[in-house]
Amino acid sequence: MSQNIKHDCENCPVHNKANLVRLGINPENVDFIIALAGNPNTGKSTVFNNFTGLKQHTGNWPGKTVSRAEGGYIFNDKKYKVVDLPGTYSLLSTSTDEEVARNFILFGQPDVTVIVTDATRLERNLNLALQILEITDRAVLCLNLMDEARRNNIKIDIRALSRELGIPVIPASARSREGMDELLLAIEEVASGKYVCRPHKIKSKSAGLNHAISEISGQLMAHFPGLPNATWVAMRLLEGDSSIIEAIRSGHLGSLSPDREVTQPV
Amino acid sequence: MKLLFIPMLSAPAINILLGLLFVLLLIWFFWPGRGGLALMGSFSTNRKKAMLEDALKYLFDCEYRNQPCDINSLAGNLHISGDKASDTVQSLISMGLATSSNHDLSLTDTGRSYALRVIRVHRIWEKYLAEETGVASTHWHTEADRVEHMMTEDSVEELAARMGHPVFDPHGDPIPTVLGELPDNKGVLLSSLKEGDMGLITHLEDEPRAIYDQLVVFGLYAGMQVYVTDVTPQKITIVAGGDEVILTPFFASQVTVNVFSENEPVREKHNNLALLQVGQSAEVAGISPHLRGQQRRRLMDLGIVPGTEVRAVIRSASGDPVGYRIMGTTIGIRKSQAEHIYIKNIRTYEPEYQA
Amino acid sequence: MESFSDQQSREEIISSANRARWELGVNFHDTVIESIYEDASRIARKTVVVEGGREAYSTDIAIDKIVTSRWLGFPIMFLLLALVFWLTVAGANYPSGLLANLLIDKFLPVLHSLGDWLHMPSWLTGVLFDGAYLALAWVVAVMLPPMAIFFPMFTLLEDLGYLPRVAFNMDSLFRRAGAHGKQALTMSMGFGCNAAGVVAARVIDSPRERLIAIITNNFSLCNGRWPTQILIATIFIGSMVPAAWAGLVSAGAVVTIAVTGIVFSLVVSWGLSKTVLKGEASAFSLELPPYRPPRLMQTLYTSLIDRTIFVLWRAMVFAMPAGVVIWLVANIHVGDQSIAEHFIHWANPFALFFGLNGVILLAYIIAIPANEIVIPTILMLTVLSANIVRAGAGTGVMFELDSLEDTAGILRQGGWTLLTGVNLMLFSLLHNPCSTTIYTIYKETGSMKWTMLATFLPIVMGLIICFFTTQIWHLYHI
Repeated sequence: MSQNIKHDCENCPVHNKANLVRLGINPENVDFIIALAGNPNTGKSTVFNNFTGLKQHTGNWPGKTVSRAEGGYIFNDKKYKVVDLPGTYSLLSTSTDEEVARNFILFGQPDVTVIVTDATRLERNLNLALQILEITDRAVLCLNLMDEARRNNIKIDIRALSRELGIPVIPASARSREGMDELLLAIEEVASGKYVCRPHKIKSKSAGLNHAISEISGQLMAHFPGLPNATWVAMRLLEGDSSIIEAIRSGHLGSLSPDREVTQPV
Repeated sequence: MKLLFIPMLSAPAINILLGLLFVLLLIWFFWPGRGGLALMGSFSTNRKKAMLEDALKYLFDCEYRNQPCDINSLAGNLHISGDKASDTVQSLISMGLATSSNHDLSLTDTGRSYALRVIRVHRIWEKYLAEETGVASTHWHTEADRVEHMMTEDSVEELAARMGHPVFDPHGDPIPTVLGELPDNKGVLLSSLKEGDMGLITHLEDEPRAIYDQLVVFGLYAGMQVYVTDVTPQKITIVAGGDEVILTPFFASQVTVNVFSENEPVREKHNNLALLQVGQSAEVAGISPHLRGQQRRRLMDLGIVPGTEVRAVIRSASGDPVGYRIMGTTIGIRKSQAEHIYIKNIRTYEPEYQA
Repeated sequence: MESFSDQQSREEIISSANRARWELGVNFHDTVIESIYEDASRIARKTVVVEGGREAYSTDIAIDKIVTSRWLGFPIMFLLLALVFWLTVAGANYPSGLLANLLIDKFLPVLHSLGDWLHMPSWLTGVLFDGAYLALAWVVAVMLPPMAIFFPMFTLLEDLGYLPRVAFNMDSLFRRAGAHGKQALTMSMGFGCNAAGVVAARVIDSPRERLIAIITNNFSLCNGRWPTQILIATIFIGSMVPAAWAGLVSAGAVVTIAVTGIVFSLVVSWGLSKTVLKGEASAFSLELPPYRPPRLMQTLYTSLIDRTIFVLWRAMVFAMPAGVVIWLVANIHVGDQSIAEHFIHWANPFALFFGLNGVILLAYIIAIPANEIVIPTILMLTVLSANIVRAGAGTGVMFELDSLEDTAGILRQGGWTLLTGVNLMLFSLLHNPCSTTIYTIYKETGSMKWTMLATFLPIVMGLIICFFTTQIWHLYHI
């Protein structure tokens, strides 16, 4: 699938570029919400700035952008809002950055989460990517810094990676705008439902943990039928995540159903 | 008044002396814990309330461990006179928090839930000290003993929420829930184990303090695997964290363990990351439970999990943090932390970039 | 309408999770992370191939070997930081003069003639133009150029990836003080502006160490205080030695003060981590990111917007009301003297005890918005209280003089000695942070208690240090 996208776009980059209108800050009445997540130092902000035309600066420190930046663009007549989440190594710890990122992906209900990764250290970045795939079914992996990877003789089997993760994988070099159009297209396909993701799910190796998770997610499913990420919610409950506990207590968790309209106004 | 008896001193010298005195006073006044400000604060805390709460805690502890308790043991545990102890018990009974039959003291339901609330505050505060402040482990208990009588319920719950509603304190004890739930006591005392038994330390008794401190010196901590190699009436020999530790039965009775059901292999003694020289590589074998909370999570997020290859690449100009290459990134880690990261299979790495 | 049993079953989910957590024990989180990494590494093995013998980023490691080496690490660091500060101080001079000329010499008279034309009463032109506007203009003229130079350069070093290496090299020093290696960065940033340094402390994870970094940031001699130090050192210390050596000696004095600041910052960090912020140095796990070529235009743009304008804006907001206050205290008369003179005479005996004088104390109180306007305020107050005629821009109006001799003359007429100079330099290092920084500390910590500590700790220390300096001085100069 991702190969197809790439193939299509090699023939029509100019066409796509013409279809991108950067909206800068303050988009209104958007069709889709896009979240940008990723490790620090992966060029997430460069992707964000490329999409929106803004000049967001984040240093190469975790903790630098505690609040999230927002911007917008129009692509093929659809209006998108992009939310740049703080760069984190994980979503399972208790720092403020991670809470912001985690809660947005879960409660903010982005239509697509773009996972920006550093192609030169994929293994490290996959830790976060796999965690995100636990929460959301709609994601695109942007394999950024491909130029650095080429320079360092790192070859990545894009097709196999996409198959393993079950989501589109787009190789890119955001700094030189390489792969940005393909990324926009992949986002569109996932957002509109043309591409259906089959995200990879983690299987825990501990029997005790598996038992606990299946028991709790069973209870969750019984109470909140249709909850798309019961395993993740169960796992967060076992970590004592306050926002999840609150969402269960108030019943708000029930509104996170998978079958909502994709073009629902926000 | 003229300072005639020290005529050698000129005015500036007197000023300096007075100044020094003033500075010392200032330091004393603001010294945390024992200074003037702290003294003023301690007068305002309710000593009677603290005493009652401590007694409730003790009664609950007896109940949880299925041990009888009376006024004498209470007096001994709280380091108070027998009269004071019987006064305290009288107050508890009159408040409907405890009952007494044949000198045996027990808690009423109200008393139990009160005790659980105090214990919750105590253990959450210990958890907080252990994970977020860097206060030395020998100070957690005393500090929490002081704070437990002063925290409001709201601030405790706020703290608990921030830490992810912890369910274990750093000694391995379960923290009661807001509703006062607590799991059953499943552990056995280390002193009851036989040769060849294996277990996981779940609790180090933190009273009496001297014994606890000594156990800490032996290097024991909650979450540590132990393997009993030899039992005689005089001593119990265990292998803990790869080191041999010899305990007297009394010391061993201060340690609670969960005996393993599965036959897990004993962890051999590992090298630690601090021993890795620049130019050497190794495989991560695990992180010691000494690194807890955020520290531990951060290290794991950075890729320090069993099986990962680490390579020491650079040493800081001042010698201490060493930069380790982990999954394609250089991570600086202090020696004090690297010492708690276990490694195996140390190899000398051929640095290709020098070629 | 939801039923009670719904609520109850939800609570049941929560408490069954709690019971499961007790069952799973303390190592639950580890198991989760380990299984994620296991999957990650399996996927990576299937999809990533490194071709050729050279390891990825071997150039980076080679550079790191040099910038963190035992012999070259610190010299490279000091050279780079010294270069940044030198470029800032030297480069800011001309544009500062230009701005001052434009905003003060040219535009202020225009405002005054506008006031005359509108027949505004003199107290109104005084408050608006000589007070609010002048303070604002001064802050902009003195603050903007050095920041516009310092912050882009600092951001360049950051984007390049060099700053994490500084933290890596400096860590052991800070670890011994119970603080975090990244405090080296907030400290360096503080040399540019304390408010920016306080904001930069966000990069420190541990709340305890972050507070230490915030509270001690004020000990970094910020841009606003360098000119004061240089001026006073030149007048009082440089003049003690032959002219040929004057420059070197006064520069040495200023550097000594800055280094004293670093020492204080470490000592106070140590003290805090032994007392109110008790604890051992926590984790230090710092990613040393790969070196990437910085993008000049982006850096310039963002450092100007994010840092310079941000800080300048806050300073301007605080400067205007302070300008009004400064003008009012100098111009409202009670009896035959202005409020300022009353205060100066009243505070003089007390201040002299600390080797300072009433003028300095008052100047530091009313010029709290920005250290940049301390010297103009001191000059104005000195002229006012010592009744020096024919100097300055009129009674009760802040000014600065182009000629060093004239400035020295005014100060000496105001009763200043070498001791006053030395103490002013010390007090300029050790006094409360400017109001912008105080406000930023409050914003960042969200706590009145820590803000108060950060504000009053340096003043108390400054007064104590000045006191002992003065008394020891008197001991030997009877």
